[in-house]
Amino acid sequence: MSSDTTAESKFHIHHDAPAVVGRRERLGVRLVIVADGAFVAGMIFSYFYLRGLNANGAWIPKGGHTMAASSGWIVTIPLIVAAMVHKIGTKSRSAVTSGIVLLAMLVGAYLQWHQLAHMPFIAKDDGGRHFFEGGYASSWVLLGGANLFHFIIGTFIALGLFIRGFRAKVDPTLEYWRQLTASSWFTWIAISGVLCAITTSIL
Amino acid sequence: MGTGVVIGIIFAFAAYYALRPNADTTNFYNQQNKALLAAMFAWSIGFLIGIGAFIGPFRWLIGKDLTAEEQLYLAGDGQGIKRYFKYCTDHKVVGIQYLVGVMAMLAVGGTMAMMIRTSLAVPGGHFIGATIYNSLVGLHGITMIVAMIIVATGPFGNYIMPIMIGARDMAFPRLNALSWWVLFTAIPVLCSAWFLGGIPTGWTAYAPLSVQAGPGMNAFIATIIIFAISTAVAGMNITATVVTMRAKGMKWNRVPIFVIGSTMSVALAIPAFPTFMLAMVQTATDRVYNTGFYDANVGGSGWLYAHLFWIMGHPEVYVILLPGIAILMEIAPVFVRKPLFSYNAAVMGFAGIAGLSVLVWAHHMYISGWTPTLNGPFMVTTEMISVPTGLLFLVMLGTIWRGKPWMKLPMLGLFAVIWNLLIGGITGIYLSDVPADNYLHGSMYVTAHFHYTLMGAALTGAVSGLAYWFPKMTGRMLNEKAGYTAFWFTQIGFQILFLGMFIAGAEGQPRRVVSFASMYKYYNMISTGGAYLVGTGFIILLWAVIHSWRKGDIAPQNPWGAKTLEWTVPYPVPLENFDETPVITSDPYGYGRGN
Repeated sequence: MSSDTTAESKFHIHHDAPAVVGRRERLGVRLVIVADGAFVAGMIFSYFYLRGLNANGAWIPKGGHTMAASSGWIVTIPLIVAAMVHKIGTKSRSAVTSGIVLLAMLVGAYLQWHQLAHMPFIAKDDGGRHFFEGGYASSWVLLGGANLFHFIIGTFIALGLFIRGFRAKVDPTLEYWRQLTASSWFTWIAISGVLCAITTSIL
Repeated sequence: MGTGVVIGIIFAFAAYYALRPNADTTNFYNQQNKALLAAMFAWSIGFLIGIGAFIGPFRWLIGKDLTAEEQLYLAGDGQGIKRYFKYCTDHKVVGIQYLVGVMAMLAVGGTMAMMIRTSLAVPGGHFIGATIYNSLVGLHGITMIVAMIIVATGPFGNYIMPIMIGARDMAFPRLNALSWWVLFTAIPVLCSAWFLGGIPTGWTAYAPLSVQAGPGMNAFIATIIIFAISTAVAGMNITATVVTMRAKGMKWNRVPIFVIGSTMSVALAIPAFPTFMLAMVQTATDRVYNTGFYDANVGGSGWLYAHLFWIMGHPEVYVILLPGIAILMEIAPVFVRKPLFSYNAAVMGFAGIAGLSVLVWAHHMYISGWTPTLNGPFMVTTEMISVPTGLLFLVMLGTIWRGKPWMKLPMLGLFAVIWNLLIGGITGIYLSDVPADNYLHGSMYVTAHFHYTLMGAALTGAVSGLAYWFPKMTGRMLNEKAGYTAFWFTQIGFQILFLGMFIAGAEGQPRRVVSFASMYKYYNMISTGGAYLVGTGFIILLWAVIHSWRKGDIAPQNPWGAKTLEWTVPYPVPLENFDETPVITSDPYGYGRGN
């Protein structure tokens, strides 16, 4: 490999141009989304695989309980609101939009937690052992758990952006790129929420 | 690191104490599994908090980003040997941490292999007994798979690759350190399986066996989940580094082939490993909360596990294999003094294998009865992988064709891999064939086949990489005489070990079974003899590495006369690799062209 050297003076650690760092961080988050997407795709595959197989007629057993189809959509609303508000507020970087996103994440997390805490399909066998009623119940709880995980990560990011919105000592270019990077995440978790809601609507 | 261990242990005990089962617990086993899993994850989180892995995210959260001085401190600037035992963001330190960790894992996994082969030397399985044998098979499998996944991309992907592309660092230095230390926390978790009754399921951990297994299974589940996180972080980091941090002028057709192969490997791992993680999460919820993913009584299916496992499991073979082959393609032009034969064919070969590998998983399920009508299509996709694999052979053979190889230690590996991968590949075609697989499935033939590809090709490639880059990573030359001795011991022993196993398998000896019929005794005796030669070879290699690292001859800056960028920097490599950033004006294989 023939190489030459630039006349640029020495860099110091991690001091690339803010836009370069920003683009790099956005690519990193998008790759994380690929990994998370594979996990979500696996859960949806599991749902439809068990539904199609319906082993021993126990996808939803006779007398078994289900969640209302709207349950998935209810928790998706805060995800969509957060993604849209964040997208609109990306350029302004105002603490108000970050605050709304944070609030949406907290409300969504509470709703998801509430649904998980009041699932109707946990039964008891003769020995007093709790178990999930069927394949649907098992798949539903995992999809709900994944949503909750997304809300927790989203809350962390939204809280960070909210706090940073008050601080002056941030590089505006880099901060703008970080808003864009966060936007990738909020958009993804909204898409994931919609996919999970569609899935659980198909009993 | 000491603080991390202390806090990790405190967290683990606290989690276990809070969730421990007692005499009044209705579901004792569920509660025990819950407490153990919580303790294992708490150890991991506590350790990471203790070594300061979350300082960056916390400081970001409160709006106080790390200063340049603090980042220099995290990079271990001026901290000498201590930086190898702390959360250090210097990619070269992380590379050495991976190298030492991988060697330790291979040593442990290899010792277990020797115990397995010793037990199989004679019929009856009296050496260690069935229970320990079963656990050994599972632990050997998972230890070696984890070690092999990181054997090339861990040490060389971290230490060498950023320098090769002219970067001053990795894209995300803190995540780079995190990927190693997350993996580190999985090691004691996996070791804890020994004290919890072992892993009786083999490394595939098929459900419902894994759901019903004892407490040791929790260690397996936690290890895989932790490892999957580490792999995703490392894969994301390496991919982002290569895509965004190449030196000026390093167009895609000027990127060293090792970088291309490694990036394809980790990029393949990013979507593949989460499915294995999901399979483990579902196993955990079945064990802890009595969900029914894998229990047919409550609407589950063992096939679901098999799908999720093999959707990861087959790409994982190529995640292991591609960097090993790419290392040899990097080495061949240097030691033959010829350009790499058809760079484009090599890239197409890697891309073809990576693409097809996600479409072949169900060939592992031919005889499960899942969907016989789909066996044919999966047979075709599996056999199609021979085409891009053939391209890789073409590139390796074309590069050495009519050349005069400089027969140094790294070059020997190329010839060994061409032989081993040929056998591994051809024997794989029989397993991809549905009728032949009906006979060979679950036999020692399968064990011999995948050892030819993973150990004979990928591990040999990685060892060649170690011999090649040892001078750059340690500043010293690897002892050649000991290296040659180790090479011949391992390669001759390897052929004896696994060719014997092929015959035993073709004649019907099942794998993973402690005892076998006396008709197989000679094959097994021969295989065990071969295993001892391999073991001796690796002990010699380990000695050579340790001795050379401490007292080997001082290496010149570019002992092989290679043209890639890592040989343009001195040892020890400066913190930011280059005083001045390089600008690339030609491809890295211009041997014999005067550039």
